[in-house]
Amino acid sequence: MLALATDCASGLSAQEKIARFKQLDSEAETAMQQHRASEAVRLYEDAVCLVPNSARGYYGLGVAQAAAGDFLKARESLRTADRLQPATGMPLVMQVRVNFSLGDMDTLKDNLREAAARFPHDADLHTTLARFLAEQNLFVLALAEALRADQGSDDWNSKVQLAILENTVGAHEDAIQNALAIEQNHQLPEQARGAAAGIAGLSYESLHKPDQAVHYLNEAIQLDPAQDNSYLALADLFEQQQKYPDAVNVLKQARAHVPDSNAVLLALGADLVRAEQYKEGLEALRELLQKAPDTPEAYIAIADAARRTGDAAQEVGALRELERRKPDYPMIHVLLARAMLNQQPPEYQRILDELSIAAKKDPNDSDVYFLQGKVYVALGRYDQALPALQHSIELRPTEPSPYYQLARVYQKLGKAELAKEQFERVKFLESANAK
Amino acid sequence: MTRRELLWLTGSGLVGGSALKASEPRNLSYPLRMIEGTVTAPNLLFIRDHFNEPDVSVGTWKLRIEGRVDRRYEFGFADLAEMPSKKVEAVLECAGNAANGSAVSNGVWEGVPMSSLLEAARPAPDAAYVLLEGADSGRLLQDGPPLPYSQLVPLDKCRDTSSLVAFKYNDLTLPKSNGFPARALFQGLYGMNSVKWLRRIVVLRAGDQGTVFDRSGMNRLYNRVTRQSGADRITRVSSVQVKSAIAWPTDGLKLPAGHYEIWGFAWSGGGAIRQLSISVDGGKQWNSGKLTSPANPYGWVRWSYEWNAKPGDYALMSRAKDATGSEQPLTRDPARKDGYELNWCMPIHCSVR
Repeated sequence: MLALATDCASGLSAQEKIARFKQLDSEAETAMQQHRASEAVRLYEDAVCLVPNSARGYYGLGVAQAAAGDFLKARESLRTADRLQPATGMPLVMQVRVNFSLGDMDTLKDNLREAAARFPHDADLHTTLARFLAEQNLFVLALAEALRADQGSDDWNSKVQLAILENTVGAHEDAIQNALAIEQNHQLPEQARGAAAGIAGLSYESLHKPDQAVHYLNEAIQLDPAQDNSYLALADLFEQQQKYPDAVNVLKQARAHVPDSNAVLLALGADLVRAEQYKEGLEALRELLQKAPDTPEAYIAIADAARRTGDAAQEVGALRELERRKPDYPMIHVLLARAMLNQQPPEYQRILDELSIAAKKDPNDSDVYFLQGKVYVALGRYDQALPALQHSIELRPTEPSPYYQLARVYQKLGKAELAKEQFERVKFLESANAK
Repeated sequence: MTRRELLWLTGSGLVGGSALKASEPRNLSYPLRMIEGTVTAPNLLFIRDHFNEPDVSVGTWKLRIEGRVDRRYEFGFADLAEMPSKKVEAVLECAGNAANGSAVSNGVWEGVPMSSLLEAARPAPDAAYVLLEGADSGRLLQDGPPLPYSQLVPLDKCRDTSSLVAFKYNDLTLPKSNGFPARALFQGLYGMNSVKWLRRIVVLRAGDQGTVFDRSGMNRLYNRVTRQSGADRITRVSSVQVKSAIAWPTDGLKLPAGHYEIWGFAWSGGGAIRQLSISVDGGKQWNSGKLTSPANPYGWVRWSYEWNAKPGDYALMSRAKDATGSEQPLTRDPARKDGYELNWCMPIHCSVR
């Protein structure tokens, strides 16, 4: 290193070296801002060659190397920066990021332990680490860092973050305790108290305490009415309890306060349908589809409303549009076939075509063969109905419906004994509660 | 003796079936047929509490290591989570799990090897046992004081690199009912040793363990009682016995004639499962089942058997054999007077029409 430093700095005075270093540093920063990481690496390499004891230079080099995807070199540079300036935690934070990119969890944990040992009271550093780790879904390590941050600070942001992580990992009582400490502190901004009340509500919900959950989610809404998550969480809670009119009321409030939220509009439309307010529900869902036409749940909810109101054509239309936009939507062809069977008169050949596609996509779906069997029965093609229904039974022998259809086929074919046997199986299965 | 003590001592309180059951302290298990693949989902882990679930805060939880060591120390959850950790697959079975019972779970546990925690404490040369203490406590003996749940494990077993202070199950934090924030985890031992809500590890020298354990009353649980020559021989239950269970069909099920897959799980604390046999006629004839997942030494293996079920009444039995040659007994040893190690081949009855 020294030899290199001598080479690249030959002929320059100390002042000139510093001036050149500053220039290279500035150019490298510009290159980084313009996403020219490789060029920044080269500039920083020149800079640390000039001033080999510069922590700033090695830190910049490490960041640039990481941005250029050379994580092994980045780690070495950042280690050097850390060694040169051990009083700051940024090289350690950056090493955590680099080690995550390398998938080196053991070394990442080494970094975290070192950060804990060297900066036990640096709440900002541990909060930064907690945020990064949470973003990477490393929730346990994020919780560890949030706990460390909480020890070093009375900052409500740290406590909210801690409560969120505690709720995420299932430490619901801890989440409630920390969240309520914030929610009950009237000195804090209402936004913070609202977020805390929301966390408490979610934790109570996880603890199967719906009354408290409703209380705190309502509190969250009152404290921060512009946050759609609280309305959605409360509506979801009501949905689970099948209190659809209550869910609708909450979501209507949400519409008034957060009019641009597509998530609210979808939930409102679906809950209006569930609450049998079909006209309003369809209006909400159509409004959503105008804004966000690729929302599969909206088409499913429209199809649901149409089925409930006996409008098979609309049901098929909604599902057909979903199929056009999302051809791989799960079971779309079975859903379509089922809806088409309700149309008058049913177009049996088109239904069979739909089921043929469904069978190719999932040859083990017993519903496909059951529906095929039903269609063949309706068409009087009993010789084709038989193998379809038998195959459905092979795939799901404990489901009574195909046996019933099979019995009808045998009846039509004049095979009374076989029909009786199948009817007995239907009775047997229904009495056995077999699963 | 209280009813609860009696239940513990006989183990009959642990004999579960497939039905969902809950009590205080909680004794809960789920039908094995609910398990997809080979890993028990966290919400399906069986729960066997000795005392009421304790209130443990992740923010204040500490694990203390003390006793016959040079260096006593304690640490919190953040320290534990950031220590070098290891993942192991392990079956956890309640020692009193019924034949064909569901008080058994299998998954991947992650934690800090107990060996590294003990090495940092530097056990004394005469150290021989480790007392593991949980945060749950209660009165085990009617006239005794309330004491924390604890178990004794030989130091050598704790030094095994697969023995963990576990804080994750299937990559998630432990469910609260299963020991959050941290519990002991021993591959190959019955579940009672894998102490939940672990808060203290006490290293003991040989000879001291009896006093400590007797005082808590824990010495009266988990004993194998065998009647021999008119006298009871009492030994400690520890290693998981070779066993299998039929997950589907369930007992009493009625089925239409057809082709079915009988399936279940098999496991052993002695070694990987090597063979699984199935009988549909109550043990008169046996056929080979297929092991459908990798057979790991301390995890369970999923097995299946293609059954062409014709009308009739059936008694289905499964029988596992492990790598050491140990095989499930066909019947319960009549000399056994306790309610543990119930690994005999109990039939599942079902009728086909």
